[in-house]
Amino acid sequence: MDRSIQVIIVHILIHLGIVFFIFPTSIIDCTKEAHWISILLSFLLHWFLIYIYTKGLSRFEGQNLMDIYLQYGKLLTAIFLLPLFVYLSMLASVTIRAYAETISLVFLSYTPLWATMLLIAIISAFISSLDIHALFRTGVLMGVIFFPLILFVLCMAFQNVDWHYVFPLWSNDFSFLTNPKYMESTFACGFMYLGFIQPSIRYNRKKILWWSITLIPFYLIAVYIPVLTFGEDTAAKFYFPFITAVDTIDITWLMFDRITMFFLLCTVTFFMLFVSLTVWVNTEILKRCLPKTVRTPYIVIALHLLIFISGIKIRDLQEVDFLFDVNAWLHTYNYLVIPFSIYILGWISRRKAATAV
Amino acid sequence: MELVDRIRSRFEQDGDFFIEEHIWAGRPVRVMGFKSLIDLPRTWANLQLSIREADWDGSQDPIAFLSVLSQLGQVLSEPNEDTLYSALTSGNLIVCCPDPQVYLQILPVPVTLHRGIEQPLNENVLQGAASAFSDDLLTNVGLMKKELNTEKLCTKMYLTGKNTPRKITLMYLEGQVKPDLLREVKERLEANKHQDIYNVQRLSKSLGFHPWSALPKFYTTEMPIEAAYALRQGRLLLFIDRLPLALILPALVSDIFMMENDRNYSAMFMYIIRGLRLAGILIDLIIPALYVALVSVNPEVLRIELALTIAESRSGVPYPAFVETMLLLIVLELIIVASVRLPKSIGPTLTVVGGIILGQAVVQARLVSSLLIIILAATSIASSTVVGFQNSLPLRLYKYLTLILAALFGILGIMSGLVILCAYFASATTYGIPYLHFFKQKDDSSG
Repeated sequence: MDRSIQVIIVHILIHLGIVFFIFPTSIIDCTKEAHWISILLSFLLHWFLIYIYTKGLSRFEGQNLMDIYLQYGKLLTAIFLLPLFVYLSMLASVTIRAYAETISLVFLSYTPLWATMLLIAIISAFISSLDIHALFRTGVLMGVIFFPLILFVLCMAFQNVDWHYVFPLWSNDFSFLTNPKYMESTFACGFMYLGFIQPSIRYNRKKILWWSITLIPFYLIAVYIPVLTFGEDTAAKFYFPFITAVDTIDITWLMFDRITMFFLLCTVTFFMLFVSLTVWVNTEILKRCLPKTVRTPYIVIALHLLIFISGIKIRDLQEVDFLFDVNAWLHTYNYLVIPFSIYILGWISRRKAATAV
Repeated sequence: MELVDRIRSRFEQDGDFFIEEHIWAGRPVRVMGFKSLIDLPRTWANLQLSIREADWDGSQDPIAFLSVLSQLGQVLSEPNEDTLYSALTSGNLIVCCPDPQVYLQILPVPVTLHRGIEQPLNENVLQGAASAFSDDLLTNVGLMKKELNTEKLCTKMYLTGKNTPRKITLMYLEGQVKPDLLREVKERLEANKHQDIYNVQRLSKSLGFHPWSALPKFYTTEMPIEAAYALRQGRLLLFIDRLPLALILPALVSDIFMMENDRNYSAMFMYIIRGLRLAGILIDLIIPALYVALVSVNPEVLRIELALTIAESRSGVPYPAFVETMLLLIVLELIIVASVRLPKSIGPTLTVVGGIILGQAVVQARLVSSLLIIILAATSIASSTVVGFQNSLPLRLYKYLTLILAALFGILGIMSGLVILCAYFASATTYGIPYLHFFKQKDDSSG
């Protein structure tokens, strides 16, 4: 059964969950004007990688990433999947900390960080302990409930914009390409799961590719709302420019003063989905390495404990930033090497099949 | 001891049992049965009519006598105690003929021991067929046959249980039903035939469902129109004898807010009504939790005027918002639980006492804020907007999850509660069919 719609919705949701936080900060930090160039370049790269990745995967009907690599030996599997495993674990624990910090900064100042992190970890553990079909159905239901709220806030976010800040529209300064921060910004993508959900969840890769284009407006909004509201120079001074920009919205007919909270919380719920999907991928990897007697719920709980404890061990936001920088290297490695390796392996296997005939 | 004597001694203490000697065509016979199950005067009249019509001159010839007897009822080929007991308890008349030794099972005129076809008692119908299922199994099956005039409607009867046998009927539409679902249910019913199944819990146990599931596994309805709709969607119907409900398997999320009877309105109003039901679900889950979150954890979210109003209405309330809300919610649950079972004459008194007197007094005594009373009223109304009582029960439970999480984490807690519920809904499946599945009605292309 084709479940492309579920995959598309989850794909969009998890990107919405991460795009409004780090992405605007990095883009505004490394680009002074004409941000759309850097945003679109970043998105294009992201899209191209998905294209390569799914193209490679489509050559192996009904196999997931591990099946494919294992055909070519355990060493190759370790070379490709070990960094992915480390990267995803690190990503989950660093982002869980970053989100907990944000939540505590914005509205739960009296709640200890560990409590917020524990809540996120427990919910994500619950979701990833369900089977993958349930995870995707959860995504769809969450999309139905929370997406309208996000859309409402995004429309309202244009309240205080000054369109003059759009200019200049063009800039010849491409120095951002060499900025490590920019590399970090492409962090706002998580599509590795696409290689793991086959064959239990089948999807049409073309639909995924076309529908992921609908993310462009969100990428643009995430950067342009703070820029248009505050201007480039002011926006660069904020730690979370988008959240601050949303905080300026004032809707007289609404009983709530701060709709930031609803926006932020919706993205937090999407982020929970993201963490659970990430841990699910790691669980799938671990399941192959561990003996079959180890039951999946134990792996899920262990992985979440790992994430939770390493999240607590991080000292402060500076360290979060530092870890993001470190992770950016792993990120680049994974997001370049895995799609291309799969593409090349697909090509090789097709050639083999052709010569065999 | 002869079989008849054993039966007589078995039921010696039973005042309901009768055994009488009669002379039929010059031969002595013994007739037995239960007075409460058999309409005796009419049965005698019928029997005498048949005997008079029958040709009795073979009274001397045993073979002719046998052939005549077999016209009156069914001759039991291998009579033993068990078959006779079960024939007697299920309301048959047993005729014992000593020479030649023959046991005859006659279908008598039964005493009507069930109500007729009435309006549904658990739900009200507006602008729709009002006949509801009743306690009698065959009446219910008949109602379904009337509703769906097709030869594709299949009925399968099961007699379950050893101690207290009970009939169960499985109905489905051939060609529409999901084959895997049908196979699973049939296999399990066959395998657990020996279990006594006389309530829904036992049925779901024999079908292999988890007993602690907080989502209904069956969509129960009293209305044939809803049951027929479910059959057309490819679902199954189960009837338990003496239970005036159709148990539709599997229950789906759409049952919470969609009814077939909605289609008797124009499409726009149908969607509005369904939208209101959905809104009711969300309000029920969110509003009490939102009150606690806004009052005790995140007051800064509110507009300052509103925050002041709430603070004013809460001035003098001696305990935290969570305790306040819990207290009144529990009182409210008590009112609902009590009023469900009370006779109609006392029910309104309770509602007045609970609603007006308690509500008014508790606010005047400054034990809870007046805003909370409004919120609770909204909540209890909202939780009743859903279709079916069995769907409103879990909703009443879920709101405590969001409430507790809201007391701990404020609005983050509410959202987390909703995520947990989403995941719980998503994880529920019945024989591989997810709870969040939407079945399409197959027979009409217009949908």
